[in-house]
Amino acid sequence: MKSPLSRLLVVAGLFIVGALYFASRGPQKPVLHVYIWSDYLAEGLVEEFAAANDCQVIVDNYDSNEVLHAKLKGGATGYDVVFPSSYMIRMMAEDGLLRKINHANIPNSKNIDPIFLGNVSIDRKMVYSIPYMTGATGIAYQKEEVKDFEPSWRMFERTDLAGRMTLLDDHREVLGAALKVLGHSLNSTDERAIEAAADLVIKWKQNIAQFASEANKAGVASKEFYLVQAWGGDIQQIIDENGDENLAFALPVEGFPMWEDTVAIPTGADNVDLAEKFINFLHDPIIAARNTEFNSYLCPNWLSYNNLDEAVLQNPIVMIPPALLKKGEQIEDVGPHLAKYTAAWDRVKSAQ
Amino acid sequence: MKPSRLPLVTSMLVLGFFYLPIAMLVAQSFNAAKFGGQWNGFSFRWYQELWARDDIHQAAWNTLLIATASTLASVILGSLAAWCIHRYKSRTQRIHYGLIYAPLVVPDILMGLSLLFFFVNIGVSLNLTTIILAHTTFCLSYVTLVMLGRLQDFDESMIEAAQDLGASWPTIIRRILLPLLGPGLAAGALLAFTLSIDDFVITFLVSGPGNTTLPVKIFSMMRRSSPQVINALSVIFMSVTFIIVLLSQRLSRPQS
Repeated sequence: MKSPLSRLLVVAGLFIVGALYFASRGPQKPVLHVYIWSDYLAEGLVEEFAAANDCQVIVDNYDSNEVLHAKLKGGATGYDVVFPSSYMIRMMAEDGLLRKINHANIPNSKNIDPIFLGNVSIDRKMVYSIPYMTGATGIAYQKEEVKDFEPSWRMFERTDLAGRMTLLDDHREVLGAALKVLGHSLNSTDERAIEAAADLVIKWKQNIAQFASEANKAGVASKEFYLVQAWGGDIQQIIDENGDENLAFALPVEGFPMWEDTVAIPTGADNVDLAEKFINFLHDPIIAARNTEFNSYLCPNWLSYNNLDEAVLQNPIVMIPPALLKKGEQIEDVGPHLAKYTAAWDRVKSAQ
Repeated sequence: MKPSRLPLVTSMLVLGFFYLPIAMLVAQSFNAAKFGGQWNGFSFRWYQELWARDDIHQAAWNTLLIATASTLASVILGSLAAWCIHRYKSRTQRIHYGLIYAPLVVPDILMGLSLLFFFVNIGVSLNLTTIILAHTTFCLSYVTLVMLGRLQDFDESMIEAAQDLGASWPTIIRRILLPLLGPGLAAGALLAFTLSIDDFVITFLVSGPGNTTLPVKIFSMMRRSSPQVINALSVIFMSVTFIIVLLSQRLSRPQS
């Protein structure tokens, strides 16, 4: 009897030998390994870069900064370009995971928007990283339902909108908004400032329906809520999906939290030369504009703004005008002072 | 006395808890809406989008290659190990059994980390081979246990009888061992295969650049990709696993 199992074994064996042969024949061309958030590069970019530099580009994805950090710290080498958020840079550099940027090989780094670099960025001298994408937290609202809208966090004091508004369920975002109204930094470590912010949020709490980081999106889309604190990217998704013309987004004049993703080269990179070329490529004014349009986030590349579509230029979620961009601030790690924020937030949550 | 309805209700609740989330995921994967908030009609759109993505083809190919290689290796090594443990009841074999059993109770995260540090320390760069080695280590234990169970019902006097009748070892293996132990081997192999394609934690830790597998891909797509594409991918992934499990149950059924 010929067992079906032995036949299966033969087939599997052939499959592996074939596959390993296929793999070992391998790439003759130099390879660039890009480790990036998924769907973060405009379509066709990777292929264009590969063709222009006669190389192969292999893209892997991660889904959180912690994952990226753990992976590199664990000793994984061979990734040539990574995209950590800016608050990770110091920690990763201290762990010796990032190479210093050689700006002579990345001439396009001078295209970075100086206003962004000077006011929002964390690695301002671009020692270990170069900005890649940025976005902000703001206010999304239904134009027809909200009379006399003003781009201010003070909107949450409007009693006529009571029960129709939400704040994010995130202590740094919400207390950060209140800190900005009171004229402080988002990263203030002054206990009195944080407590004053908490008092302000407790006042806002009387008017809001709930603290919501997910329900706010569907809520404002369906007009269950008229005005919500929201991440710009989330609102853009709703607009893309529903084409809702009455849904608008604004950045408060007092200032607002921003996030920044950067591009960097790990110390374990195999192909630094190609990595530098790739980063330079990303900051070509035309390529940067394509990435901005693809992601609906802003690539803070000064020269690329001219190449943006008129619709994108008019979109406050993506294109933040210089006067407002100055008011953006990143939420940074405040270390042991975080306890002050947690205590203030507990007080907000338990307030009646 | 009327039979209690409690067992029925409990079973329904438990099964509902198991399968409702999966049923929702399957339904959502056919929803035309991009973010799954409301039902916008039936559509294969996400499956088409999925089909067009090269990175997912690559991940599927990696997954398949790793699963096949580690299954093959763990079936061969695992069944040999089971044979030794079953046949020779010495002290060494008891220790052997203990060592084989240990990976089953060691948490995945510890196993993944220790393998990662091991590979990094001996200077091996992470690639497909390191993933295959890692998968073989944990699949091997499962295969051995399945085979040990099968060997308990195995009558060794058959081998002696065959030898009495002049059969050589190759003949014995082909005519007695494989037919009798085959279903066990197949069940072990399919178990190893499913474990390998489903593994996330260990794979994630020991994978190098360019070795993304499907579970790692699904996880990394969570944050930025359309949830619907992920749903579609999960449905396909789950169907494959179900088919393999069904197959494994058929194969391990005693032949009449």
